Amino acid sequence: MHVHELNPKKTLWTLILFLLVIVVGFITMKRPLLNYEISLQQTTKILKDTSNNCFYPYQLADVLNHKNKNVVLIDLRNKYAYGLGHIPGAKSIPAFDLTHKENVDLLKGYKKNGVSVVLYADNQLAADGAWLFFRQVGFCNVRFLLGGYNYYKAHKDNLEQTKSDDSYLKGIARFDYARMASSKAVTSASQKQKKPVVFHRRKKVAVAAGGC
Amino acid sequence: MNRNYYFLTAIMFVLALGTLFIHERVVSPQISPSELLWDVLQPTRFVTTDQVAKRLIEKDPSLLLIDVRPAAEYDKYSLPNAVNVPIDSLITPAGQEYFGNPGTKVVLFSNDAILANQAWVLLRRMAFKNDYVMKGGINGWMETIIQPKEPAETAPESAFERYEFRKAACQYFTGANVANTGKSSSKVKVVFKRRKKTAVAAGGC
Repeated sequence: MHVHELNPKKTLWTLILFLLVIVVGFITMKRPLLNYEISLQQTTKILKDTSNNCFYPYQLADVLNHKNKNVVLIDLRNKYAYGLGHIPGAKSIPAFDLTHKENVDLLKGYKKNGVSVVLYADNQLAADGAWLFFRQVGFCNVRFLLGGYNYYKAHKDNLEQTKSDDSYLKGIARFDYARMASSKAVTSASQKQKKPVVFHRRKKVAVAAGGC
Repeated sequence: MNRNYYFLTAIMFVLALGTLFIHERVVSPQISPSELLWDVLQPTRFVTTDQVAKRLIEKDPSLLLIDVRPAAEYDKYSLPNAVNVPIDSLITPAGQEYFGNPGTKVVLFSNDAILANQAWVLLRRMAFKNDYVMKGGINGWMETIIQPKEPAETAPESAFERYEFRKAACQYFTGANVANTGKSSSKVKVVFKRRKKTAVAAGGC
């Protein structure tokens, strides 16, 4: 005779307790703050959609004039670099603090209100990783600043005129690689025609006078 | 036998039946988002063009160069022994064969570091390790290895050593000498001045 046969309801109670533990476990499970909301296939498509990803330096002019109030600038550099100089109105969130709950909540708030967020660091590359990360976890309102802070700093006073400049654009071949890497192009020094060396023979000015 | 046993058996059977209805989900391993952000912010993935050139010259068998640009650009020019894996095929099984192999170090490159960096982020999300990004990309390669600039005279010794290495690397990769920029300041033209004789040797006849 088994113990539980003494109390037929014991099995039921154990079962209920068991289910209770599982339910409580599910409820109190700590959810990660961020989840991937975009698959890898979708991400590769996003990478090609440059118009929605980039924020051009000349677009900054409107933000700085308070014409475009729908954009928030976020400085990803450390506090020291931010203190030395930053784009006016930019918020400082050092890249390593991005996953803090209050910063994620801030970004979620911007997304909810339809405000676009522009991330920038010293150059485009430094902000690129963080940008792609946020796109993958579902922040479709996040963009990056082309050229980064360095370009802004150099063209602070003539942002409008940078429309015609393309030196900040990345991903373009700046050289004709094949021509440059072939040995012919590089030996440009030897292409210069060497001047033929002309020997001038000095004429004897006077006939050697005879001995004395 | 107790009735409870039948009861428990029935529950287990129902649960077991439930597993039949679970959809088969093929999920490739992915690292958690917070881990990805942490890795993305580390600068350790970047290698310089000099490091890549050095390993290419040494014929390092563990080095694998991956060109992530579109196939059309790859056909025009690419680095020696590079394999073309455009960013679209990076997530297909065929493209992934190159990654995660023990003993190989994969260096990604594109025109700049941007596209290669984005490819790196995707690969890291798919939990691949030992991938690197060539800083500067092919543009940087051309500026540093193929057409190295002579350092200023006040530059430190290491800059000159690097310049010497780059000149040699250029010769290795193109089979040509570095174009002389013309303002080679190191060569000073030696001017001989012949002292004039102050007086004609007197005497004689």
